[in-house]
Amino acid sequence: MSKARHKIGVAISAYTIVLISMAFFILPLLWIIYCSFRTQASIFTGKVIAPLHEFTLENYTTILSVTDYPTYFMNSFKIATVVSLLALIFSIAGAYGLSRFKIKGKNAIILGIFSTQMFPQVLLIIPMYLIVFSLQMLDTVIGVVLGQLILVLPFSIWMLKGYFDNIPVDIDDSARIDGCNIFQRLLYIILPLGAPGIMVAGFFSFVVSWGDYLIVSVISQSQRTATATLVIQRLSSALLIRWGQVAAAAVLTIVPTIILFSFVQKRLVEGLTAGAVKE
Amino acid sequence: MMTARKQQGILLILPALVVMGVFTVYPLLEGIRIAFTNKHFLKEGVEFVGLQNFIRLMSDEIFWISLYHSVTLTVVVVFLQFLFGLILAWAMTQNLPGMSWFKSIIMASWVIPVAATVIMFKFMAQPDIGLINIVFKTMGFEELNRYWLGDPEVALAFIMLLHLWRNVPFYGVAFLAAMQAIPKSYYEAAEIDGAGAWHRFWYITLPGIRNMVIVMVTIHVLWTFNNFDFVYLATGGGPVNATDVLPVYVYRQCWNSYTIGYGASIGTVMLLLLMLYFIVFIKLSERDDIS
Repeated sequence: MSKARHKIGVAISAYTIVLISMAFFILPLLWIIYCSFRTQASIFTGKVIAPLHEFTLENYTTILSVTDYPTYFMNSFKIATVVSLLALIFSIAGAYGLSRFKIKGKNAIILGIFSTQMFPQVLLIIPMYLIVFSLQMLDTVIGVVLGQLILVLPFSIWMLKGYFDNIPVDIDDSARIDGCNIFQRLLYIILPLGAPGIMVAGFFSFVVSWGDYLIVSVISQSQRTATATLVIQRLSSALLIRWGQVAAAAVLTIVPTIILFSFVQKRLVEGLTAGAVKE
Repeated sequence: MMTARKQQGILLILPALVVMGVFTVYPLLEGIRIAFTNKHFLKEGVEFVGLQNFIRLMSDEIFWISLYHSVTLTVVVVFLQFLFGLILAWAMTQNLPGMSWFKSIIMASWVIPVAATVIMFKFMAQPDIGLINIVFKTMGFEELNRYWLGDPEVALAFIMLLHLWRNVPFYGVAFLAAMQAIPKSYYEAAEIDGAGAWHRFWYITLPGIRNMVIVMVTIHVLWTFNNFDFVYLATGGGPVNATDVLPVYVYRQCWNSYTIGYGASIGTVMLLLLMLYFIVFIKLSERDDIS
């Protein structure tokens, strides 16, 4: 009797937490999507429920055909894709080395990689700007990519190392006895078995690059490399803010991250926390 | 054979180390060096000025305000994220209808660009037309109507709210993953011994997720203290320095006033503070490991 009552109590508390969380974490997203389909006049009525005729696609058509937003969106896409590909190559190799080979001073290397997380990015960006400038890479995709790469490398190496550590070493050992060299072992064992972790690391790099403001704001000088995040910020700090259009541009900038998220969502936590949960 | 394997390992990690060396370690050392100069973006000639920048810092009121805000923000935000993350994780461990669906969408806030998050909240914080003020109005609190990021009294608290919005779900699912890795038999044994819910939480759950808590808290202390985007995009440090934090002050010194020598000296102080935290933290966790 009391046990059943206890269970109901637990369920009510858990659902209350879920409801409050939904309101806090999901409602703001729904609200901006909803308002991105309303006219400026409709938003300025200050009403939550708008009559049907106040809804419009105009915000989206303006952003997509009148403004330069599509160019910036494509820049974001290019940069984030290159960042995630390069980050994956470097961090798969690095994590494989750290996870499977005896390396002198391995613990020092791991601690060193982890401790880069405490370096203030605002301090690093000063010399980084000077380096990129002297390489004549200011306002180039590769300049932005190099800058963003250091945002994602430490965490994705650490994450992948944790993931690879959980793949039984016996499998490698028997493959080695069968005559597989290190690249074959990487190709036939680590890559397929580590695929979920690799997907998460790639996703992580993509969204960090996509969302980066600091590095782009310093290295990008023009439309050639400006990204969507830079532009939505500019739109939202204009003197007269067209909220409907700002909302539409923000939603368009959110959409790719949510689509990718839906693919990795089941693996995301497992991958992100592989370094911290050891079986 | 063994030496060959050692070299293979080094060769694999080398490319990543080279990239991080060139774009992280070198900039760090160079940044610290610049902190001791009067480097200016628009002026020719750089001189070594010794500790002059650091002496100037001591009497720079905005530096102290920013430091105070940075520390307060980091402590409050990380503590609340930990607390709410724990509560959220507890709710998600319950096997109830709809819970797996909830778990699958709750991390959405963590993946979207911070710039978009800031826009969402700026929009909701608008006077008259923002959702927050609309809700307060319908509840009868019309006198609360204001631009929430424009009011010096509440702007910093509002920025803390943005940090919570982004990160609490991440804490929640991370703690959940750690909780699910605790063997069920521990709980069954405790139940047989008659341990209450609170007792089980305190003696089984918390120690079980200890590693995860340490990792999440450490990394978020570093990330939050170094975070630039939230404040810069939401308020730029205003109104009248009410939300200024160290990273934003460094950025303004470098890219708006072009006094990069001085900006770098503030960045160096940030680094020293975080190193201090890191060392104390490693010492503490080592001591705990032995006992």
